[in-house]
Amino acid sequence: MAEEVKKQRPPVDPNSAKYKLGKIAADAYALATEAKARGEMVGWCASNFPVEIPETLGLSVCYPENQAAGIAARGAGQTMCEIAEADGYSNDLCAYARVNLAFAKIRESKEQPMPMPDFVLCCNNICDCMFKWYENLARELNIPIFIIDIPLSTTYEPTNEEIEYVSAQFWDVVHGLEKLTGKKWDDEKFKQVMENSCRASRAWLKATSLACHKPSPFNGFDLLNHMAVMVTARGKAEAGEAMETLCREWEENIKNGTSTYRGEEKHRIMFEGIACWPYLRVTSSGLKNRGINMVTTIYADAFGFDYHSFDEMIKLYCMTPNAINLEQSRDKRIRLCKDNHVEGLLVHTNRSCKMWSGFMPEMSRQIGEACNIPVVAFDGDQADPRNFSEAQYETRVQGLAEIMEANKEVR
Amino acid sequence: MTANELFAKCAEIAQNPRAQMDKYLAQGKKVVLTAPYYAPEEIVDSMGAVPMGVWGADMELNDSKKFFPTFICSIVQGIVELGINHVYDGASAIIMPMLCDSLKGAGQNFKAAVPSIPFIPMTYPQNRFADFGAKYCKANYLTVISELEKALATEFDEAKLAGSIKVFNDHNQAMREFAEVAAMHPEVTAQQRSDVFKSAMFMTKAEHTAIVRQLIDAIKAQEPGKGRIPVYVSGILTDSPELNAIFDSCGLHIVMDDVAAQSRAYRTDAPVEGAPLDCLVKKFQNTGNDSVLYDPLKKHVDLVPDQAKQYGAKGVIFVLTKFCDPEEFDYPLIKKACDAAGIPSVQIEIDRQMVRYEQARTILEAFIDVLS
Ligand code: SF4
Repeated sequence: MAEEVKKQRPPVDPNSAKYKLGKIAADAYALATEAKARGEMVGWCASNFPVEIPETLGLSVCYPENQAAGIAARGAGQTMCEIAEADGYSNDLCAYARVNLAFAKIRESKEQPMPMPDFVLCCNNICDCMFKWYENLARELNIPIFIIDIPLSTTYEPTNEEIEYVSAQFWDVVHGLEKLTGKKWDDEKFKQVMENSCRASRAWLKATSLACHKPSPFNGFDLLNHMAVMVTARGKAEAGEAMETLCREWEENIKNGTSTYRGEEKHRIMFEGIACWPYLRVTSSGLKNRGINMVTTIYADAFGFDYHSFDEMIKLYCMTPNAINLEQSRDKRIRLCKDNHVEGLLVHTNRSCKMWSGFMPEMSRQIGEACNIPVVAFDGDQADPRNFSEAQYETRVQGLAEIMEANKEVR
Repeated sequence: MTANELFAKCAEIAQNPRAQMDKYLAQGKKVVLTAPYYAPEEIVDSMGAVPMGVWGADMELNDSKKFFPTFICSIVQGIVELGINHVYDGASAIIMPMLCDSLKGAGQNFKAAVPSIPFIPMTYPQNRFADFGAKYCKANYLTVISELEKALATEFDEAKLAGSIKVFNDHNQAMREFAEVAAMHPEVTAQQRSDVFKSAMFMTKAEHTAIVRQLIDAIKAQEPGKGRIPVYVSGILTDSPELNAIFDSCGLHIVMDDVAAQSRAYRTDAPVEGAPLDCLVKKFQNTGNDSVLYDPLKKHVDLVPDQAKQYGAKGVIFVLTKFCDPEEFDYPLIKKACDAAGIPSVQIEIDRQMVRYEQARTILEAFIDVLS
């Protein structure tokens, strides 16, 4: 039966980027499940933890943030959040954390199954909330926790001392995992993993930079989906291949004057923040209905892990979006806005993320001034549907569209 | 002076931080603001300046709202609000450790909102137990020192730091002893207890130690008052007069606390053997049992029921600062640990913008029924 239902849909071309990227994302869960079934130890891993470590050691890991986004996009965010809240977790806490802590308790989710972990790998270059969340997982599940502490760089570039500190932790985790899992570090494999990561990153950077064309060859919502592979699988050879395919497809679109953005691209904006996964369709069509294409986000820059040495790799981990100071964060975004001819900035004030939202009002004001573009914010959440109002979103996006329209008339 | 006179003195200072600052400035001293948590105040003291704690204030937030979304804790928003409104004018710098996401954002906002006060971040290593953590901590202390040298136009002298470490250890010891003595004397009110801790933020540690030592002697000389209900309090900040009035009118006696603005700050001394700056690093490495510090074994979770039992508390009260991630993550586990230990617990949520405390009162009154 299930087979028949599937056949009714147009088959996805197995040579397409969509197919390849989707497969990589799905395989991550399947591989971890198989490894667990074989009796191997598997881990849960924070999204910006250096993937080079588990990849080189040959350890299967799953990404709770990715799982939480999937669960939220498939409509079960609130149910899961409420399970965590019943245990005393405040509804002010990150909804990814609540969804995952609920999963850790009930150990099942039909929206996105995931094997239970034997260890957790945590890195706070995304936020400090990660440490607290993973500490709790380690205690509740009685499993070891490995951390790499990457503090906020308060200087424009990370200091040498920070790079040294993070490097030392990198090897400390490697040795800890070798001891726990019996896997052995292999420098040759590490080299290969680094090459894979760089290859995927180069293709990603190139693909996302194609938004500079008018119209853009892609709908920016594609970035939100594809970025999962960049986050979690960029150390795998298939990731580079899939990203190159994506790049070729978008180059092809430019040649043919086509785009994955359906309709006329009247306005080009940058979207700031994590997607509102429970309302992906609503947020996307709110833009499309007004001819607005989100041509870029900080993700376009964030996963450019193209490095030439170990120190450079560490430095990039110290420069992920939430690990850099206001000035560096602002300048990266200004570059994206200018390179991609952005006409407006839409900010998702994400209730879940205190780190991302903490200095957003000031930073977006500075970006708006530097690029001479309107800035509009809406309230939402990456996984808890209770923190989003469709009416407010519509009003704000309409307001943004009107200002961009008026600006066009003046110019 | 009697205990009550000394308590009144602490209350006076706790309520008037600006008067304290003006007093020090008039004496020709420089003032360095220290934001939560664990700012290296010994360094400031050794450089001849007075460190003064900044934790916001009980007030409505207006100007800070241009910088923060609504869901950031009122402590950090308050710091920026007061900075914008010139309440800190005259300070030579602000040191802000960034041990939570809200503090990280607040530092960046302070820099933009209050450009007249030099912003000195202190980046602590959360992965602090190994040598690499110590090395990084020391490097960042050195950065703070070089920024302070600029802001204070003076040079750092490590020998003087040794002296300041002794002064601070002495103060820690006095504060710990005060908490112990207050636990034996139910007549010490929640408000008085709070005033002693709060006044410590606005005085030189040497001055405060002298008052606290006199106070300890004066309390010890008193006959312990009539027994009230012994409770243990955990949280970030519990200095609100309204909150303390509820504790007092409900007949609660705080026998020990795990409050960041109170006992958490005084649990750990710096060792005195070795190079002074290394001693300060060691102090940070040895600090723990706090929601804002990486805690792989979650010792903080066990500390609360353990101490509550040790001090004979009948119940645990969590005073949650609204929007505080670190505390909100620890709470469910601590509650579970208290349940397992058979200690009743309750949570009340507070916010520095709060004006109505009826809900807190109702919750506490119901809790007291459970305890008795
Ligand atoms: S630890 Fe909590 S109360 Fe303290 S600054 Fe951070 S969020 Fe605010």
